[in-house]
Amino acid sequence: MRKSYVNNTIKVNEFDALIKITVEMSKYLYPYIREILRSKEDIKENSIIWNDFNKRFIDLIKERFNVESMRVKKILNQAENGEIIIKYLLILSFCISNQGYQKLKNFLYDF
Amino acid sequence: MQNKLSFHQSSVNLEIIGLPDYSNNENKDQISIISQWKLTIVDKPLIEGKIEHLGPIMDAFYIYSNLLIKNEIPIYESKLIDIKADNLHIHNIVLKSSKANVKPLVLKIGNSLLSDTINCFDQLNESPKVRIKKIDTPTKIPKKLNFGLNKKVKFVNLFIPPFFAICSLILFSSAFIYFYSPFENIEKKELTNPE
Repeated sequence: MRKSYVNNTIKVNEFDALIKITVEMSKYLYPYIREILRSKEDIKENSIIWNDFNKRFIDLIKERFNVESMRVKKILNQAENGEIIIKYLLILSFCISNQGYQKLKNFLYDF
Repeated sequence: MQNKLSFHQSSVNLEIIGLPDYSNNENKDQISIISQWKLTIVDKPLIEGKIEHLGPIMDAFYIYSNLLIKNEIPIYESKLIDIKADNLHIHNIVLKSSKANVKPLVLKIGNSLLSDTINCFDQLNESPKVRIKKIDTPTKIPKKLNFGLNKKVKFVNLFIPPFFAICSLILFSSAFIYFYSPFENIEKKELTNPE
């Protein structure tokens, strides 16, 4: 899915490290994640936060991901991507505890 | 004097009141015998109950949150609590009272409050100062998930792979009967020994 011509497979320790970084970042960014989730609950009143986040998310995806891939196209489609983004945000918000690393790992293995 | 511990996450607060188990040589500030718990969600009615209600309610939230993420049908039903999704953003919680003639308490919470509640329960689970004894309660989870949760190997499953292996060996070896013709071999032997 990434915009790269080199197809490297990720090592187990690199995968673990990425999970740890993601969990630590989620802990730090939890108030923001929570606000984005809240803004989508009442989209009429708080549409600005959601729209700003969605716009930035799409910009970053276009910059770093292979936009020709069907899966990436699905994420970029604003009519469909709401559910995917909400689920990712929920996963991150559920993994901010001390055992968040193990929880996130379990979620990823279950996908 | 009872101990009181609070777990806080944004708009949700969980309070645990109880005593240490002195018979188990526990510290003064430990809670092992929970007498009461209170779950306060901002702008929602207070939820409180006995110890036997806390475990099932926590389990309900955990199972429901897993269903929500795993693209399963997000419905959790039990004697004590029902959680259903109105849509992807709003969740409907029905808390049923064990007392007769008491109407169930209905709450609607969004994803932000759901994640706050889960994080409060995580803090409680990870706290070294509280020990919760789990009580099993019957639940109604969609059948599809029941399979996923119950990862016990079925007795029949133990016999199916060797059964298929033996059957395939029989079929494979029986196919060679068609290639092997004993009469041709006898003729060849006669040709080599013309006597």
